[in-house]
Amino acid sequence: MSAPLPPALRRYAGHPFWQAVAILVLAYVLVVWVVPLLPGSAIVPKSVVLQYMVTVLVGVLIYVSDSEARWTRFKEPINAMLVEPRLRVVRSGVLTAVTAVVGLVAYGQVKTTVAAPPNLRSIHPAPPTEITFRGKSITLTGLENPLRQHADSLPTYLAEGKQVYYRNCLPCHGDHLDGLGHYASGFNPLPANFQDNGTIAQLTESFVFWRVAKGGPGLPREGTPWNSAMPKWEDFLTEREIWSVILFLYDQTGWKPRTWEKAESGGAK
Amino acid sequence: MWATNAKILGVVLGTLALYTLIANKIPQVQSEVPQTLTLGANVTSEQLVAAGEKVFNGIGGCPTCHGLGTRAPNLLTDEKGQGTVGARCGKREAGKSCKQYLYESLDNPTAYVVQGYQPIMPVMTRQLSPAQVWSVIAFLESQGGTVDVTASDIPAASTTAPAPATGAAGGSGSGLAGGSTDPKAIIQAAGCLACHKLDGQGQVIAPDLTHVGSRRDAESIRKKVLDPMSSIAKGYEKLAGIMPKTFGTMMNAAQLEALAQFLAAHK
Amino acid sequence: MTDSALLLLQAAADTTRAYGEFPVIGARAAVWIAAEVHLMFAAFVLGVPMFAVVAEAIGLFGKDQRYDRLAREFTRLLLVAYSATAIWGAVLVFFLATLYPRFWAYLTTIFGPSMWVYAGLFFCESFTLYLYYYGWDRWKYGRTKLVHWGLGILLNVWGTVVMFIANSWLTYMMTPPRDITPTTDPATIKLWHAIANATWMPINVHRVIANVVFGGAIVAAYASYRFLVAKTDEERAHYDWMGYVGNFIAISALIVLPFAGYWLGREIYQYDQSMGITMMGGFMSWLWVIQAFLIAVLFLTGNYYLWIGMGRIPGAERFQPYTKYLLLVLVLGAIVWGTPHTMIADSKELAAMGGSHHPLLGALGVMSAKNTAVNLMILTTFLSFLLYRRANTRPVVPWARTGTLIQAAMFVVAAGVVLFYGIRGYFVEAIVRIGFSVYQVLAVLACIVCVTVIDILMGRGAASLGAIRWGKMPPRSQYALFILAVTFTWLMGLMGFARSGIRQYWHVWQVMQDTSKYAATPALGYASKMISLCVLIFLSLVGFVFWLGGLAEKSTFVPAGEGEKGARHVGH
Repeated sequence: MSAPLPPALRRYAGHPFWQAVAILVLAYVLVVWVVPLLPGSAIVPKSVVLQYMVTVLVGVLIYVSDSEARWTRFKEPINAMLVEPRLRVVRSGVLTAVTAVVGLVAYGQVKTTVAAPPNLRSIHPAPPTEITFRGKSITLTGLENPLRQHADSLPTYLAEGKQVYYRNCLPCHGDHLDGLGHYASGFNPLPANFQDNGTIAQLTESFVFWRVAKGGPGLPREGTPWNSAMPKWEDFLTEREIWSVILFLYDQTGWKPRTWEKAESGGAK
Repeated sequence: MWATNAKILGVVLGTLALYTLIANKIPQVQSEVPQTLTLGANVTSEQLVAAGEKVFNGIGGCPTCHGLGTRAPNLLTDEKGQGTVGARCGKREAGKSCKQYLYESLDNPTAYVVQGYQPIMPVMTRQLSPAQVWSVIAFLESQGGTVDVTASDIPAASTTAPAPATGAAGGSGSGLAGGSTDPKAIIQAAGCLACHKLDGQGQVIAPDLTHVGSRRDAESIRKKVLDPMSSIAKGYEKLAGIMPKTFGTMMNAAQLEALAQFLAAHK
Repeated sequence: MTDSALLLLQAAADTTRAYGEFPVIGARAAVWIAAEVHLMFAAFVLGVPMFAVVAEAIGLFGKDQRYDRLAREFTRLLLVAYSATAIWGAVLVFFLATLYPRFWAYLTTIFGPSMWVYAGLFFCESFTLYLYYYGWDRWKYGRTKLVHWGLGILLNVWGTVVMFIANSWLTYMMTPPRDITPTTDPATIKLWHAIANATWMPINVHRVIANVVFGGAIVAAYASYRFLVAKTDEERAHYDWMGYVGNFIAISALIVLPFAGYWLGREIYQYDQSMGITMMGGFMSWLWVIQAFLIAVLFLTGNYYLWIGMGRIPGAERFQPYTKYLLLVLVLGAIVWGTPHTMIADSKELAAMGGSHHPLLGALGVMSAKNTAVNLMILTTFLSFLLYRRANTRPVVPWARTGTLIQAAMFVVAAGVVLFYGIRGYFVEAIVRIGFSVYQVLAVLACIVCVTVIDILMGRGAASLGAIRWGKMPPRSQYALFILAVTFTWLMGLMGFARSGIRQYWHVWQVMQDTSKYAATPALGYASKMISLCVLIFLSLVGFVFWLGGLAEKSTFVPAGEGEKGARHVGH
């Protein structure tokens, strides 16, 4: 806006139709190419790109039609393109392009691909209220890490947890607890990154206990597909070992487990 | 007037269609009712196979490893030119029928590990009920073999198989592993090998029990099982307190005695 | 006594079938449709009297006949809608009793007495409605008008009590008191104990507010239809104004609705953590993305209607250039609010993102970001209203400039508080973060209340910039009102599915299990088809009701000559 534009360009820049086109193109470029370039980012999934673009499109349509004058001006080029004799070439081009795009979209929808269909895997599925751990039932609701009750022996438990972690968890979850162990790249889904604020930082210790004890095979329906490689650790570790390794995870990453005192609410997901 | 009505109808139907479309576009998840498997006395083999397929793909979580070809042998598809599991199960171990072999591999997965794979399979008889275990066997037999599991296998299974998933453990007096006094069954059911090593099997977190008889007598072992903190093996002081204190309440007296004698004999 | 009752009940359970069957669509779908359509009608007949009474009061105390006629026109719509509610209620009871007899027997054993009270009150309500409507002309002047208005209030009292009773039944199904177990004999359960369960009050409050929203939206749709088919300019002017009032009421009530919903969610979490997680993060987590989409549609469409409406207000030109910035905030808010935490992605995208959380955009998918977005959207919508209200007038009070500056400062402070806690939420543990949303909400509410008070004081004796040209609206604004009505109705169906679906395979949560073949809770796709079907049935019937209303007598549009007074009613 600040730099003076040449008159021809200014005419376009002030016209609602071309403004709308520019906003849409800009938004697309931003989401598809600029966002992935930002530090610590990655490509945006197609479903999300579509969602963003639809939102922007609705916004643009509201912008061009919320005042009568702008709406009339917005429609001018479209009308002209459809009826004016001097724009016959443009008209043919646009109509051909629209037809081609519709055809290609339809083709893309029905074409069979080798890729697995996208699936909806809930990262933090609802835990059961009670689990059976080696034949003993444990109520998860309201459960705290029992080891935290012995504040004076915490160092011992932490040492134990460290042992358990390095003997069992290291190959996948990594030396830095960041999910980048030696074998990590072979798995899909990737092993959990405990340093990330979206994993153990969001969860109660009893939830973590459930996930460690029951592993990939114990995931409920919404956590499917069951391709998580996490073993059912109840077969290999004792209850106390699991609690101590949980203690270690929180201590090492500095996260605080989600607590039970007050019930949470709202859209955590 | 009618043009307006048509337009309104178009707006209403269009809005409804859009919302319905979006809700159908996302992957669909249905909340299922948890299944309790009840098989009657005159269950047919078809019913067993159908139930077994559900357990195999559902609660059993078998496809997590079997079927990838990397973690465990393929079961439903060909494995190294030997056919599907039903076709090869009878030829694995000499003298074991298909049914016996499959039961063993669910009950004691490390007994026979197919070459080229790691012993990572959990003991399925501890996670599944006998009915579920036998229906899975029926399902696996149906994959290229003949189903010979019948309803009569199932009640038999609940007496000989180690503790079912829900566990009769606790101070009920029946003890671990269905009250069996077979020391190996007790060790299996109590999960001793998750920490201790015995005859080359198990983990090395806690002292190796292979020669425990040369360090402790039966009395000392009995005491140690009942009260793990009573004496700590040399070099394991840091791990004191890891061993659960609950084994005493999980076993009955006959089992404790059988276990102590068995271990004391490991000189 | 108890033993014999138990035996009797057991005998009944053994002899009667537990479930019936319905042809083609199945028992669950039949009950679903009956319940949903009944509920939509019920919401309509509860919501409309509320502002019929308010409109009558404005007419009565503000000495403006136009509002009185508006109230009367609403009430006429009620008469037929009322019988439709009763018919669908009867269908629902019949379906429940024949398709779910065991469950129905259980409910009647506990709630029997309250069902009788319910039926009795329903009668009271009907007769009050008849008195209210048919007595309109009889009690028109002086003190009798006050009595008539009192009848309107009484009508609302009956309606609200009736709804509270019905709510107790369904909240009992969701959150039965904890001391009730599957073995509890229903005959021994104290009625009040069952009624006053954990979610009863939150649902009551939530539904009262939602009914106002819903009633407003349907009335606005009615007005927009009459606008579109109107033959004269006077008629158009009247229905334009009516549509505006309906939309205003709907959107204002919508602004407080999330807070009631928040309370309900809290109670559910407190009652049963795993029920709460099933609702927010379990198999229903995607429902909330759809809900976010629908609410974004509501905010955008509602604002759009206001902005187009500025075209008919002399003086609004001053504010029109700024609406695009409001739009920008709304679109950004919708983008943030709609960003899913767990994204749908194919395997290649999953590998690139390292899981179904986006490393950067994932930060927009958490509660802090969403609360911030929705609070800013509420503030923006409120600002739109304020500009719309202010557009037609120029304040004359000497402190007008200071007042406007104070208002602006309040907006800045509220937005600042919302943003501050939104960002800070990323750096504190969950339990603290949850508390933050309360501060955000309080800041927004305080801003709305204070700014409104200042605005009312400042608007006293304000100079008009010319009469509002009611009726000078392009048709697309009226279609926007239709989209609003359809979206509100659909949203109601969706939230009903969420509330009912979190019980999963239980008739009564952890007390009475659903053992029918429809026990599994369907996926969102199926649910959306059912919701669309119910909305379609409801809207067709409502269309029919409105048509009947039009047949009976001529509409009560403002006769020529009174239109000039319109300028005074800018902001109601």
